[in-house]
Amino acid sequence: MAEEENYANPLTAFFSVLFKVAALVFYIVVASFIDNFVIVFVITVFLVALDFWTVKNVSGRILVGLRWWNEINEDGESVWRFESLEQQELDRLNKKDSWLFWWTLYLTPVVWVALGIVAIVRVKLDYLLVVGVALVLSAANIIGFTKCRKDAKKQIQQFATQTVASQFASTLQTAFSV
Amino acid sequence: MSRSSEKTPLHPTSQSDIDEIESLFNISVQPATIEVPTSTAPGKPATTVHHPQVSIPVSSDPRPSGSGNASSSSAAGGGAAGGPGAFGGGPEYSTLTEPVWHTLKRDVVRVATNLRHVVFPNPYREDPGKALRDWDLWGPFFFIIFLALTLSSSATENKSKVFAVVFAVLSAGAIVLTLNVQLLGGSIIFFQSLSLLGYCLFPLDIGALVCLLRDSKLFRSIVVLVTLVWSSWSAYPFVSTAVPQSRKALAVYPVLLLYISVGFLVLAND
Repeated sequence: MAEEENYANPLTAFFSVLFKVAALVFYIVVASFIDNFVIVFVITVFLVALDFWTVKNVSGRILVGLRWWNEINEDGESVWRFESLEQQELDRLNKKDSWLFWWTLYLTPVVWVALGIVAIVRVKLDYLLVVGVALVLSAANIIGFTKCRKDAKKQIQQFATQTVASQFASTLQTAFSV
Repeated sequence: MSRSSEKTPLHPTSQSDIDEIESLFNISVQPATIEVPTSTAPGKPATTVHHPQVSIPVSSDPRPSGSGNASSSSAAGGGAAGGPGAFGGGPEYSTLTEPVWHTLKRDVVRVATNLRHVVFPNPYREDPGKALRDWDLWGPFFFIIFLALTLSSSATENKSKVFAVVFAVLSAGAIVLTLNVQLLGGSIIFFQSLSLLGYCLFPLDIGALVCLLRDSKLFRSIVVLVTLVWSSWSAYPFVSTAVPQSRKALAVYPVLLLYISVGFLVLAND
């Protein structure tokens, strides 16, 4: 099993970057030419939403093996669920993939904040709406994945101790039953 | 240590809880198997299956372990990188062979289901908590955008302003209304309420669309009125059951107000 030096999932990595970059490029470049706020808004927000969905459902799963979502349980309380791969799989994940994932995840809102400042300076407050939506979606993904990663680490630790304990218990059992 | 001897075929829903626990014991024994689903993963089950633990590092869904072992020896890259196992309302144990379509389809189905539950009469209305259990914000997102687009396109001047105003009013209004319910001591969850208020915009969307067709004021008034009543009717049970009896009016009134103002926006557009 050869460890590849390149991205293990180039297509996914490509898509996860594509929408972010497309949204930014569209907003910055095209918006300077098109004066129609509605079109700019709809397309940018659409691209940002597409990116959010892709990162949450596809990239996160494939590139770093994490997934988060929210459920409402029987008592009507909201429960955040996190899911992650096993430790062995996590280690096997391609380093480049995860580097790309996390970097783009954290970098995007920074860029959007900068664009927001530009929008304020140019006194085009409508565009702040666009920036606002983009920021909210990026922030949601960041929070979700960061929590998920922490939770994964915690789970692995817990699991390790639990495994050790159960192994210990079973050896004790066999020792005593003999 | 040998591989897991779980050879029994499994039903996705009923067995999953038991097998989940068993898999936790087996995981330590067997190499990290990767689930490769058979064709039985249609999408999420009809109701969410709740698991005893909150989150589990699931790598192997207890699928027939033969296929699991085969894929564990495959390359780390590529599609078999092991999607997280899934139970209930979360991601599917399906598959990375068709990740995008399955996930996409599941989300689309979810939007449709939520829409049907909220806006159309159905037996679940008596139990609002259950009806919107799987909230999602995609539906509301699309509805708001659609409404703003429709209103903006039919406006003769200031199109972008109309769009921005409608969008801002609706999103801010939804957030404020949710906070209102929560501050009144209501027991609704933030996102659930946002999702609900968004879905109830659907009738107004239809109304706005229909209003594009004809220009007569009378026609539009009737259409707006009908859709307004429909929206309020859909929103009412959810909001009213969330707050204590004495505060019902306080919670419901702003919702009605919001929809009435949107109705006016639709009406006044020419």
